[in-house]
Amino acid sequence: MNMHLSDRRIDKISLRKLCPEVFSDEDVSGSDIWLKNFAFVRGRDYTIEACSGSGKSSLCSFIYLNRHDFRGELLFDACDSRTFTTAEACAMRQRHIALVPQELRLFPELSAIDNIRLKNKLAAFRTEDEMLEMLDALGISSLAGRPVGQMSIGQMQRVAIVRALCQPFDFILLDEPVSHLDRDNNLAAANLILREARRQGASVITTSVGNPLIIPDAEIVRL
Amino acid sequence: MISKLLRKNISVVQFVAYALANLIGMAILLTSVQFYRDVRAQRSGGSDAAGEYLVLSKPVPMLSIFGGNQAAVSFSADEIDDLQSQPWVRKLGKFAAADYNVVAAVDFAGKIMSTAMFFESLPDEFVDIPLDNWTFDPDKPQIPVLIPRDYLALYNFGFASSRGMPQLSENLIAQIPLKVELSGNGRRDVFDARIVGLSSRLNTIAVPDEFMKWANSRYGSGSDSSSEPSRLIVEVSTPGDPAVAQWLDSHGIELSADKLNSGKTAYIAAVASAVVGGVGLVISLLSLMILVLSIYLLIQKNREKIRDLILLGYAPSTLARFYDRIVIGLNLGVTAGAVVVMLSVARLWRQPLAAVGIEFASPWLTLLLAIAIMLAVTAVSCLTVRRTINRAKS
Repeated sequence: MNMHLSDRRIDKISLRKLCPEVFSDEDVSGSDIWLKNFAFVRGRDYTIEACSGSGKSSLCSFIYLNRHDFRGELLFDACDSRTFTTAEACAMRQRHIALVPQELRLFPELSAIDNIRLKNKLAAFRTEDEMLEMLDALGISSLAGRPVGQMSIGQMQRVAIVRALCQPFDFILLDEPVSHLDRDNNLAAANLILREARRQGASVITTSVGNPLIIPDAEIVRL
Repeated sequence: MISKLLRKNISVVQFVAYALANLIGMAILLTSVQFYRDVRAQRSGGSDAAGEYLVLSKPVPMLSIFGGNQAAVSFSADEIDDLQSQPWVRKLGKFAAADYNVVAAVDFAGKIMSTAMFFESLPDEFVDIPLDNWTFDPDKPQIPVLIPRDYLALYNFGFASSRGMPQLSENLIAQIPLKVELSGNGRRDVFDARIVGLSSRLNTIAVPDEFMKWANSRYGSGSDSSSEPSRLIVEVSTPGDPAVAQWLDSHGIELSADKLNSGKTAYIAAVASAVVGGVGLVISLLSLMILVLSIYLLIQKNREKIRDLILLGYAPSTLARFYDRIVIGLNLGVTAGAVVVMLSVARLWRQPLAAVGIEFASPWLTLLLAIAIMLAVTAVSCLTVRRTINRAKS
């Protein structure tokens, strides 16, 4: 049983000589993360810059306890990520780590607000008003009732961001969250995410291949 | 909202097919079990339970007329052990013969009639009358006697009607005072005796074992006839089983009366209900396969959604509960339906038989079986749900 099923917060995600198994033959010497000792510390923000295929999404999956096909160690404070059962991983996803995956993984048959409610139900974290207010902050409150399948990718990205914010978290991972958004929407999203992260004392970890979420003080990490 | 997502690919046809198939299978199974139990109850509850007991003896050889040896018609200890080890023998008892002379007299409507006769005894557990009066006290000697029910019939319909004597009911016969004179070993005494019961199982005039021991020691010549009895009584666990008759045949043992036949009908009924019940069980098992397959398909079709829900933080057990609810609902319905069918079919055979005064087994055991099957089927399905979800998540 891992201690993070309790309400104790996670202060540090440590990566010890981490490397995806598929990269075992590749030269990763230019990376700040792969095969190095690195730590994400709660309270600081990070922007991971990388070319396509350098393993951003893999890194997000490892931290989200979704995949374990890596070498080295990944520790949440003192807990080895490999020791988590599926149920424990789900508990982590409910209370400690939020993710906006690159492919978004929204349910197209559900409306935007239902997609968000589905997440919110797990921890009963936000009120209905708060959810609508966040949609409004990203300029899509008028689309709340529309099935996600009928939305553009940019609109879906914003729904996914609001959904990820509807849970308590220590770290929020955003995998290219604004790739289809213009600068204004990028700023609006960054403001909302930062506001919620600061309110929760959490870290923002975002990845980008060229259109990063605009977080002024984020530490730039090369992958 | 989860159910809104997950119920999308539910195939109503598959679940209805399962429900129908399992309803049919379970209804057949439960009905045959109840039928079997009713038939059993009728046999052991009624007075005519002779089929379960066999009285065994050996054929008398020609030579014994000329004072041949007793050993040829008695059972040796080895033979008794052999018999005891047969799988169909539940209990075995030895008849003990009287080692003294018996003369019985009755004051019958003014006429004194007397006759030489004999006594046999056997262990109390084989006696098919209430055992309250089946005792003997040497200080207050009165001998309880058991006679075959056939004897009464012979007297009433053969002897009494031709001689102009009164016919006797079973109650009346117990009132007749008998005098029994025992002699042997230089003694001669007269005792009161009373017919305490009529047996349809025992084809002999029987007295309690404890009286027989007492009388043999008092009037007997001292030779111990009980160690090698010439007649045995056996309780058979599978009445009517052809194997019993075969074994007896091959060992040269005779049945004193062919009581096997009386058990045959019941045996056939039991076999028939076992076969029918087996068919029901097979149908139920096949329907279970439909259910397992439907669950598997449904979860496979919803694989992406299940994976996404788990990524969202929904534990697999939470998702499994959605499918559990479907399975439990289905199985509750099917079980209730099957029980209703069983009870209504049971009425069909119970009504005509109840008119004859036959009692039935209670349906509780059958209901318990239905619940047990439901729990087993539900457990298998819920296990399938969990296994399939766990496989779908990765």
